[in-house]
Formats: sequence, structure tokens, C-alpha cells
Amino acid sequence: MSSDRLQELLQRVTRRDRLAFAELYDATAAKLYGTVLRILRERSRADDVVQEVYVTIWQKAEQFDAGRASAIAWMASIARHAAIDELRRRPRAPHESDDALDQTPSDAPGAREHAERDENARRLHACLAELEGSRRDMVRLAYLDGWSRADLAAHFEQPVNTVKTWLHRALKQLKGCLAS
Amino acid sequence: MTDRDDIDMLAAEYVLGTLDADERAEVMQRRQADSELDARILEWEARLAPLGDEVEAIAPGPDLLARIERRIEAMEVTSGTGEHEGKVSQLDALRRRLRFWRWSTGLASAAAVALAAVLIAPVGQTPSEAPFVAVFSQDDQQPAFMLSVDLDSRRLNVRPVTAEPLPDRAYQLWIKDASLGPKPRSVGVLNDDLSLPTDALSDFDPELLKRATFGISIEPPGGSPTGQPTGPAIHGYLYPTDRDASGQRL
Repeated sequence: MSSDRLQELLQRVTRRDRLAFAELYDATAAKLYGTVLRILRERSRADDVVQEVYVTIWQKAEQFDAGRASAIAWMASIARHAAIDELRRRPRAPHESDDALDQTPSDAPGAREHAERDENARRLHACLAELEGSRRDMVRLAYLDGWSRADLAAHFEQPVNTVKTWLHRALKQLKGCLAS
Repeated sequence: MTDRDDIDMLAAEYVLGTLDADERAEVMQRRQADSELDARILEWEARLAPLGDEVEAIAPGPDLLARIERRIEAMEVTSGTGEHEGKVSQLDALRRRLRFWRWSTGLASAAAVALAAVLIAPVGQTPSEAPFVAVFSQDDQQPAFMLSVDLDSRRLNVRPVTAEPLPDRAYQLWIKDASLGPKPRSVGVLNDDLSLPTDALSDFDPELLKRATFGISIEPPGGSPTGQPTGPAIHGYLYPTDRDASGQRL
């Protein structure tokens, strides 16, 4: 579905339009559910979180600002933060984190293909590629899989403060690269 | 490191997701009043958003939309209603809920269809009693139709109350539920005597019938040519047949 169409549906949702809401759900649920499930790794928890995400979208549709983000990016951001909040409140059992690592693709071909369509995505991936390997992994594991500093510290066998320093360096480097 | 750097890194880590629960709560609170922090967060959201492209889309279970809609419905009904006391306010709440449906449908299509929510039958109710009844009324006054459904046998009974057959027009009954898609689906065109075959709902799962909404519209003879309600609506109000039953839904 086009970005304009999603935006139009969101605008209709601000007027309490239930059909627009259902259409918006149909067009975006798989993306949002995939985002949340990848972080929580448990369908029943993902169900609860995605339910609340769509309630939030219903309530806050008028806060969407097309000048700042695409409709899908705005919605995905709500979903990702809701999943991370849930995970921080109730962390996964350790063995589940190990599973997550196995399933984390390094750079799926599908992802790269998708990224080609969008200049911002192409630049972000180019800048990520410039990061040192383990720092790139940290950024991806945090953003996509919801790993905390402590999860990263355990996996990379570093003190939490070192992880924090690495993350900050990686983020600053990304920011500089994207700005250049 | 300057304060500005600190704020930027706080925003970056918030967006990245690596802060702990307390830190995240603090950022959420602080960004309300701190426009600098809020702006930094939005910048980082935009920077990192393309990373999300590679998340594999996974379809949620088929019931999730219905769950979400029920939550929203409950929210919309309760907002502004205050306490629900006794039958009168229950009825008010039902009316509000119905108006809510009507409004959204009316906005979405030129045709307004009357939609009435149905009640959950209390467990153990004898099948001979109609478990739930939706009443469709005209001009918000007298009931025009009454629809009763027996969930066990999935038999339906439509009865005109004040509705009259219309020359060159037909009444059509619709059902709407998230699992059927966003649009109402035709149950059938009422016969000349304003009845419907009692098995018209037999294809629908009782669970679906419990949560579905119904509507009646006025259509050309033979029913809507488009497959969607096109004619003027008869508005429906819903009346609980049992106090406890309505309580379950509210």
C-alpha cells in the first residue's frame, strides 16, 4: 500500500472512521506484528502488545506528522518502543536470548534489496557497513531484537560500561557518516 | 562531553532501545517538557528507521483485529458515560456504541447502514429463548424490525414491528465482523413479507455471530447491486433481553 494511502487512512482514523482503521490494520499488521514478535519472541506477548499498539494508534492518530516520518515508520516506531518497554519490564529467560542470536540474520539479501528502493536506507546501510563488525552487530541486535546493554555485555563478554562506550561511539560515527 | 552530546546520546540510546526500564520511563517523561530532547529523539527515529525494513512481516492471528476493535469499542463507549447504573444508562451506552458504528460507516461510504451490536448469550440459557435481540428502529423512534438469533441452532428470525413493505424497494440485512473484512457482508434480501429464511446465518460460526454487528438498509428490488449497502438506512437500537447478558458486553 502506498505511503499516501496509509497517511490518508490515518487521517480518517482521527475522525473515528472504523472502516479506515480496519483497512489500516490489514495493511500494516504483519509489519508491526513482525517487529514486535522479533523482539518478544512469544506470540501471546506479541498479541497483547500489538493490541495495545493499535489502540494507541487509534487514540493518537492526530499526533502523526507527515513532515517528520512516513506513516508506516511512525506506526512501526510505536510498535517497537511498546515491545521494548514490555521486554524491559519482563525480560526473556536467558536461553531465549540465545535463540534470538541464532535467528538474527547478518545482512539478509531481501533486506538489502528492500533498502535499495530508498535513498535513506541505502545511506544508512552504507554507514553501518563502515562500522567495526561487533559494533554493527550491537546496533542491529539492539534495534531489531531489543537487546539491552546487559544482554550485549553478556554476549560480547564486556563490562556494561564498555558496551555503553562502544554504542555511543558507533552511534556518533553513524550520525557523522549520515550527515556527510 | 557537553550537555548537548549527553542529550543526543540519551535520545540515540532511547531510540536504539538499550536503556533500562527506569531510564526509558524518565526519557518518556522528560521529552514532554524538553523540546530539545524530543527533537533529538525524532531525528534518531528518522536516522535508524530504515533498519526496520528488514524485519520479516508476520501475520498476526486472525482474531487480533476483533480483539482490538472490542477494546476500542469498550473505550469509546465508556469515555464520557460516567458510571453505568441500572438499565437506563446501559441502554444509553448501547446507543452510544451504535451511533459510533453508524458514524464510522457513514463516513466511509455514502450509504449509511444501520448497525446494531448483538449480545452474548449467557451460558446455560435454553436454546428456545432468543439469546439476543437487535431492534432496528426508524427515525430513532419506533422499532421497525426485530432480529433474534439462536446461537445454538444458528437460526435467525427477522420480524417487522412497524416496518412496511416498500414499493419498488427491498430491505437487506447485513452482517459485519472483522473476520469478514472491513465491509459489511449481505446476509440476505428480505422476502416480500419482510421475513428471511431462518437458516440465513447458518454459514456463520456462533463465535462470530456473538461479536458481529448487524444492519438493515433499503435497496433496489433484489438487493444492492454493488454488494455493499447503497440505500438509506434504518437505524438500529439494541435492547438487552437479559440484564446480565448486557453487562457482559459493557
